[in-house]
Amino acid sequence: MSRLPALVSLAVVAGVLAVLPFLLSGYHVSLVAQVGIFFIGVLGLNILTGYTGQISIGHGAFMAIGGYTTAVLSRDHDTNLVVTMFAAFALCFVFGVLVGLPALRFSGVYLALVTFALAVSVPQLPLKWSKFLGGRDGVQTSRTVSHLWLYGAAWTASAVLFVLAWLILRGRVGRAFRAVRDSEIAAVASGVELPLYKTLAFGISAAYAGVAGSLFVLATNGFAAPDEFGVVLSLQLLIGAAVAGLGSLWGILAGAAFVGLLPSVSTSVPVVGSEHGRDVVFGAAVILVMLLLPDGFAGLLARARRIARA
Amino acid sequence: MAVNRRKLGALLGALLVTAVVAGTAGASPQGTPGVSKKQIVIGGTFPLSGFAALYKTIPAAEQAYYAYVNAKGGVFHRKIKDIVLDDQYDPSQTVPQTTKLVEQDHIFADVGSLGTAPILSTWNYLNKKKVPQVLVATGDAFWGNCVHHACQGSTKPWTLGWQPDYPGEAKLYAHYIVAHNAKAKIGVLYQNDAYGKNYLAGLKTGLGGHANQIVDAESYNLGDSAQVIAAHVVKLRAASADTFVIFATPTATIQSLVARTLVGWSPDTFVNNVSANRIFELAAAKNGANLNGIISTGYVGSQTLTPNTPGMKLAKSIIHQYAPGGVGTLDQDFAAGDLNLVYGLASAWTFVDALKHAGKNPTRASLMKALRNLDEPKNPFVFPGITIKTTAKRGFPMEQLTMTKWSGGATGDWHPFGKVIGGLH
Amino acid sequence: MATVESSPRPGFRSRRTDVGSFPIVVGLLVAGAAFLLVGCLRSATFAQLTVQGLALGAVYGSLALALVLVYRATRVINFAQGELAMATTYLAWQLIQWGLSYWEAFFATLAIAFVLGALLEVVLIRPVLHRSAIAAVIVTVGLFILIDGIVNWLWGGGFKALPPPFGTTIYHVGGVAIARLYLGMIAVVLVSVALVWLLFRFTKLGLGMRAAALRPAEAALVGVRVDRMLAIGWGLATVLGAVAGLMAAPSQYLLDPTLMQPILVYAFAAAVLGGLESPTGAVVGGLIIGVTLTLIVQYVPAITSELQLPFAFAVLIVVLLIKPSGLFGRREVRRV
Repeated sequence: MSRLPALVSLAVVAGVLAVLPFLLSGYHVSLVAQVGIFFIGVLGLNILTGYTGQISIGHGAFMAIGGYTTAVLSRDHDTNLVVTMFAAFALCFVFGVLVGLPALRFSGVYLALVTFALAVSVPQLPLKWSKFLGGRDGVQTSRTVSHLWLYGAAWTASAVLFVLAWLILRGRVGRAFRAVRDSEIAAVASGVELPLYKTLAFGISAAYAGVAGSLFVLATNGFAAPDEFGVVLSLQLLIGAAVAGLGSLWGILAGAAFVGLLPSVSTSVPVVGSEHGRDVVFGAAVILVMLLLPDGFAGLLARARRIARA
Repeated sequence: MAVNRRKLGALLGALLVTAVVAGTAGASPQGTPGVSKKQIVIGGTFPLSGFAALYKTIPAAEQAYYAYVNAKGGVFHRKIKDIVLDDQYDPSQTVPQTTKLVEQDHIFADVGSLGTAPILSTWNYLNKKKVPQVLVATGDAFWGNCVHHACQGSTKPWTLGWQPDYPGEAKLYAHYIVAHNAKAKIGVLYQNDAYGKNYLAGLKTGLGGHANQIVDAESYNLGDSAQVIAAHVVKLRAASADTFVIFATPTATIQSLVARTLVGWSPDTFVNNVSANRIFELAAAKNGANLNGIISTGYVGSQTLTPNTPGMKLAKSIIHQYAPGGVGTLDQDFAAGDLNLVYGLASAWTFVDALKHAGKNPTRASLMKALRNLDEPKNPFVFPGITIKTTAKRGFPMEQLTMTKWSGGATGDWHPFGKVIGGLH
Repeated sequence: MATVESSPRPGFRSRRTDVGSFPIVVGLLVAGAAFLLVGCLRSATFAQLTVQGLALGAVYGSLALALVLVYRATRVINFAQGELAMATTYLAWQLIQWGLSYWEAFFATLAIAFVLGALLEVVLIRPVLHRSAIAAVIVTVGLFILIDGIVNWLWGGGFKALPPPFGTTIYHVGGVAIARLYLGMIAVVLVSVALVWLLFRFTKLGLGMRAAALRPAEAALVGVRVDRMLAIGWGLATVLGAVAGLMAAPSQYLLDPTLMQPILVYAFAAAVLGGLESPTGAVVGGLIIGVTLTLIVQYVPAITSELQLPFAFAVLIVVLLIKPSGLFGRREVRRV
């Protein structure tokens, strides 16, 4: 992406986001905030999956860790909520690296299986250490936030983390990531330290998921409970990353909007109705998108760009 | 230039979407939210799908009752509209659904919502916004204990329970055990969360000096397989317990009852009333469980045991006529003995009773006042002799239970015995 | 198919060859079986738990068998395998409601499952098989969500159960209660794996399926209808999944849309433990995991039941780190 169109894209998005809270009701503001939360998670996962080719179906686990970090720090020490988000970032980076290290030994399908098992295992841990982590009845932050605060925090964090990602990806690290994805053998042959970069990618994507998790808990009225971090959350992140495709801000926005809004919108679909529209429509939409847009939204845009130029 | 046109198009598209979305935002109402000349809008969150979906007959019965009331003219000429939303027992869905109900659908009150963790995730929000969160379908003691006493930093005067609370129920079992088998060796199976732990604590309180007779307490987790539950039962038997108390959700209760018979163990068995819904015991019996003599408690009428009382006849006709899925769609479930249907009718009856007492032009405050001054000795769907009552001092609407015992084997039922017992606190 | 699954980092020295590991694996299994036997003879509780663990393991093994079959045929891990199994079980329930007996419904469901599986492969999986690896995974993930939604929509959350297929008889052997149900479940899974083994070893169809999976281009040259083999592979896998569901529901005494979700993770662990390419391994892996879980939760106080899933996760990791091809798998070489 050359610079000028990128800046214009950013300006457009920033502009719309700044204006939206004044046009929407509180409930809709919270919905758009939800998109912002998924934006962060999808962005992180995109770095891992899109840039280094490692498939993870377990990033919901990192969201859980980040979310519980915020909840516990707030409950026990009344920590400033933004500070807890930094703590979630750091803690999840560490956990991401810890997971990334053994993950080096697994490729493709095996990694997917391992991360899937991670996604279902981590939410069990609050049940084990229920005194500290609240068990099934959860942990409540000491303060709750308004829809507007959440909106501002989610999109500010999105902006900051997007710029961070851009800086990382345009430099040496980004080139190394791309080399790893395109051919591990060739990357090693040209001197790329495979383990370092693959683990780094895991750490970064986990850190992003951690921040998303913090915001996710804040969006749930500050209430963190195991039932919120089921396997579907990890699936949503992965779906968002796949729908997004690679290398496009609009793609990530589309992916985040897809997983953030479609479930709520599906409940108003007729026939299937409010009870079950959520899963039926969402599931069908996911399959359709994968069949029709294998390169995600970014691929669609790239094709459109090519046609527009022709 | 192609680039600029594309960006412009995207911007226009975004603004269009924004306009559409903004246009769907509900108009701000005048006066009391949810109350108009012709209608009262209420709502609640329930697990309509997911692992807790076997409770979905509760909101179905509530909707049926409101439809019945509406057919007779409504309350002060206002029809009740009940918006039932699915949260899959997942607090991260309960919160946006509740936000939608309050800020989008402008409900008058959140009525009957189900599940401890879901309620806990929204009670701060609803109390802050002074929205009644009432007749919640869970027996945790928070809903009665936190009215005047701060929980999580603030009192929750806008939250109210309905059913007899779990610790109180557990105390009843404790008193019964002490009265009938003072040297009992007690084994407990409980769910590993506040639901189960509060039951266990209530049992210990009720046992008093006999609490050390609990020889083993095994905890299980929601989602454990029947085989793991059976392993816990084996362990309790190995600890030489002669009394078995099950504080579980229905699935695990069924599995422990089957396991108990499977391993050839026949202790005095107590089952919590959430699991004492005839359809669950029938399922256990079908898989070989020997149920005769197991004991529980009850507080709603039984359509299978006393089908000819006026209350149960009314229940049958309402469920038949006004089932939300269409006439007759819940008949089979009702006939099999699903207590959830009677529960839903009884709870809805309480709400309508309170609504009538909230005045011709109800406000949220007047509704709360009516709910904190309930006096219903004759709710037709509640077990005869049990009164629903609240006062300034009494935050739990139901403080009585009747003891029940299963007899009749694989096609039997829960038979009440003895007098209605009060004083759960 | 260009690359084949394995784990070693480029340049990593390979360990002892796999020819030598087969006796070690068998030795370990025999030792394990001996340990169990001794335990059962010494303690009725131990025996009771072992029996229960084996029954549970039979269910894990059945689903693992389905996963392995799909993987062998199309190199895809079907994340929707559990939900497909659950959906076919609901179909059986519906057939029983319409008057069929359990076993009539059982076999009718297997037939429907075969067709369903083959259809899904043709319509949903084949178009994305040759694209990015992630695309096929996402399609099965979407299928997971879609099937869950459809089942909830059609059959709702009301309380349902299947009739007990083997009755409620209980045999008491030396203080241990063995439900006829458990014996039936173990028998069914053993028969299934035996039939699969026979299919692959001794039939032309089985040979064709193996060829289509391993060397599709060469197989096509000698006249194997590769397309058809892929579809049949999925059809068979769905049948095995249906068997898993039809055993799981009676073993849990109720039918619920979340029936197979906890089982899926254990089935993954079982499949990996046994070797993703090995049907026998899947079943053995399932039995091992079932028994180990039941015994560990009982006898190792630190591992309480909430740690079961993390335990399965740990098993997965350990197996993949030590012997990624599993107990019965052969290490495959990565072609550059």
